[in-house]
Amino acid sequence: MLRVAGLTKIYINRYDAQAGGVRDVSFDLPPGTFFTLLGPSGCGKTTTLRCVAGLERPDAGFIAVEDRELFDSARGVAVPMNQRGIGMVFQSYAIWPHMTVFENIAFPLRVAKERRYPREEIRKLVDEALATVGLAGYGDRPATRLSGGQQQRVALARAIVHRPQLLLLDEPLSNLDASLREEMRAELRRLQQQIGVTTIYVTHDQSEALAMSDLIAVMDHGRIVQLGEPRAIYFRPASEFVAAFIGAANLLNGTCVSAVTAGGVGPLRLGDGAEISCLFPSGGEIGRATTASIRPENIVIAPLGAGTPTAANTLRGLISASSFLGGTVRYDVRVGEYALRVTGPAETILPPGTGVQLGFPPQAVVAVG
Amino acid sequence: MSASGITGRLAPARTSWLEALRGDQRLIVAVLVGIVLAVLMLPPLWILLQDSVTTTDAIGNVTGWTFAHFRRLVTDRDALRSIWNTLVFAAGSTVLSLVTGGILAWLVERTNAPFKVLAYLATIISMGTPYILHVIAWLFLLGKVGPLNDAWRHLTGSTDNLFNVNSMAGMILIEGLLWSPLVFLLLGATFRAANADMEEAARMSGATVFDTLRRISMPLAMPSILALALFVFIRAIGGFEVPALVGMPGRIYVLTTDVYEATIVVPPDLGYAASFSVVMVAIVAGLLYFYGRLSKNAERYHSVTGKGYRPRPFDLGRGRWIAGGLIALNFCVVLLLPLLTLLWMSLLPFLRSFSLAALPMLTLRNYRTVLYAGDYIRLALNSLTVAAGAATAVMLITAVAGWIAARRGPGGRTLDQLATLSLVFPGICLGVAVMEVYLRVPLPIYGTLWIIAIAYVIRYMPYGMRYVYSGVLQLHRELEEAAGVAGASSMTTLRRIVAPLLTPALVAGWLFIFLIANKELAIAVLLAGPSSQVIAVAIFDAWVNGQGGELAAFGLIWTALMTVIACLFFAQMRRGSADVYGN
Repeated sequence: MLRVAGLTKIYINRYDAQAGGVRDVSFDLPPGTFFTLLGPSGCGKTTTLRCVAGLERPDAGFIAVEDRELFDSARGVAVPMNQRGIGMVFQSYAIWPHMTVFENIAFPLRVAKERRYPREEIRKLVDEALATVGLAGYGDRPATRLSGGQQQRVALARAIVHRPQLLLLDEPLSNLDASLREEMRAELRRLQQQIGVTTIYVTHDQSEALAMSDLIAVMDHGRIVQLGEPRAIYFRPASEFVAAFIGAANLLNGTCVSAVTAGGVGPLRLGDGAEISCLFPSGGEIGRATTASIRPENIVIAPLGAGTPTAANTLRGLISASSFLGGTVRYDVRVGEYALRVTGPAETILPPGTGVQLGFPPQAVVAVG
Repeated sequence: MSASGITGRLAPARTSWLEALRGDQRLIVAVLVGIVLAVLMLPPLWILLQDSVTTTDAIGNVTGWTFAHFRRLVTDRDALRSIWNTLVFAAGSTVLSLVTGGILAWLVERTNAPFKVLAYLATIISMGTPYILHVIAWLFLLGKVGPLNDAWRHLTGSTDNLFNVNSMAGMILIEGLLWSPLVFLLLGATFRAANADMEEAARMSGATVFDTLRRISMPLAMPSILALALFVFIRAIGGFEVPALVGMPGRIYVLTTDVYEATIVVPPDLGYAASFSVVMVAIVAGLLYFYGRLSKNAERYHSVTGKGYRPRPFDLGRGRWIAGGLIALNFCVVLLLPLLTLLWMSLLPFLRSFSLAALPMLTLRNYRTVLYAGDYIRLALNSLTVAAGAATAVMLITAVAGWIAARRGPGGRTLDQLATLSLVFPGICLGVAVMEVYLRVPLPIYGTLWIIAIAYVIRYMPYGMRYVYSGVLQLHRELEEAAGVAGASSMTTLRRIVAPLLTPALVAGWLFIFLIANKELAIAVLLAGPSSQVIAVAIFDAWVNGQGGELAAFGLIWTALMTVIACLFFAQMRRGSADVYGN
């Protein structure tokens, strides 16, 4: 449905010559996909979105929705943003303060070039959009008298009122407070499913991305470093960066000690000589330095002598800090040269200084590079 | 496509002109506005340069090239003295206005001194008063028949005067007092924006109020103060009212009065006037360059303030009453004294000093003349029409040019440079240049109000540009981008989104230009014909002709009217700063 290929847009900062922007970004979205661009600030996710919207002009690349080319550097095609027919929600919502809620939402219909909307149809479409976002009856409010959550809904209504094929969301939840954010997260996803519009969502919040998306692209330094479904991104990170950025992963560096086929399980010798078995998604060669990632919640923690370990991998360590987080307890455990973060059950809290053993299955340890 | 409009300070995208033209309506508009600006702004500069290096025949046709005008300028002792006088005059009045206005601004903005409202009152009313009225009031106060010298003669019995107002000291004193309200206004903003935490931290470390002021507040404000000093210096170089009314009778000439003299003698020595103007324009252009760099520095010093920030004023203790006394004194000197003087002058049939003996002579005859006889009403209408017309034209042009420039649209930099070009002209030089240009083009506007309006438009274009530019920067860019994504073309965005949201800035800019256009004498003094007089010029003529009483009466009525408009302006500024949309 949306095809982006070889998208490149490079900024040259005149002052300290640091290059930003995006390089060679490509992705292909089936209709109705909720697609998230995820990455730290400055990774190029917003630039990618703005290129698709037509707010930036890429240096090179190709963008098409269905069969309609929006941008093609090779053939000099660049459809202006106001003719792309895309809906977009901005980070600041950009609700025009001099118009009512109704006028804000009606704006895309009023300025439409391809057809003139009669008055009754505008009213009908705007009312529908208002109802969709749960703001029925708010049309006559001045736009300045809305709460943050309401502004967000109005921005969303404005973006969908002209039934766009593509909806762009630029960190729409970042300006809301935490409880509202949770609520709107579910709401946005529900709306997207209901309308069935292909959506690109930009965020730096990995839990948002995991909860909402069909497909996630993790970006770093202007490139897509991993593209996949949320579970794949979480459980099979392709690189140290992805592992560390998505969730608080523990990274263990060691050496691969036997040849492993791609997707197989093999031994990894850690720095202190201990060996653990580990999943090698892309295979392993003898002697290659390898980093493995393991999630804190995949580790079972037990005090020493609490019984014989049953897990395939066990490590011994000493708790250096423990903090009660409500539903869970977070431990920092010193294992030889490594400091591991471990999530434990909340019923008992092991004090710092306790000797513990950590157990985890081979599938939970993934070689990431 | 507006890629180049969005990259901000980053390198612009590579786009060919043709491609850009296809995608961006703004380019067509930018070209149109650019042509209008070029036609307005470039000829005056060109004609000055040309006049300064050519000889002309009696009817103004160029007959040859010459450097004689410039040679005369560097060999003529009078010319060199004028340059020296200009620098002394500008430097002296800059220092005086900075000291008085600066102390006032600090006391009002950063301490708990009483009577603060007096400082604002003085500023608002002086915004609306033509400079020439202040000058006349001071001429009377400090002049031969004025109360100062009168009292001195009575006390000492001597026939000499204590103070000769027609001297460099008199010029500096009056010009310095003219500029002090502006310094108060601008430095006040700096002090308001300063982060009180820094001063608080110094106080917590044991510094006294004075130490804090000297070691923290002053160094932090220094870049702003220097930039402002340079700004006042530039304006004082171009100042005309004080040199003409105070300096010329005492045979003290500066560059502006030299230009004026060379233009009004018969036959006019336009080459000489132009070469003087070129020298002034060069000096001002050089200073403006440094000003730009300084004010950029000053912005970097603006400390970041968090949300819910409230500046905490210094507690001066018992000293606050001394401070309050200073504020009240300033109010008297800058506003009350001149206004009372004008009132006194307006109520007497002829000029004489304050005395009880004169009380029985008080009469309203001057007011009657102003309101019923004479053509003061027509004059006022002339002034208001020209100022309103010029302000409207400037705001219309700059609304588009300023928007394109602020959003780095196509040709934005060029538009910005064209629109702010006239900053290099002191008022009198612009008067000479505009006169020359429109004497030569086949348009019958010389000697009409149109030529004054055109000169005002040229002169005030930079101010309009500033108002629009900073107004646009206050609008969150996403408000426009949202319109673009929603399907609006860039001109629809300008019309439906930018223009309505920019209204406060446009209104404030309009009022500001309207006010200063009604104040200034220097531009219009050479352009006004017998049937196209404006206020400041008429007051100037009336003073020269000795009609002091009438002009004082008229000036007071005018000041009242302008004060109302100045109040509107400040109210608008306050409202404008309250609504920063979309952030």
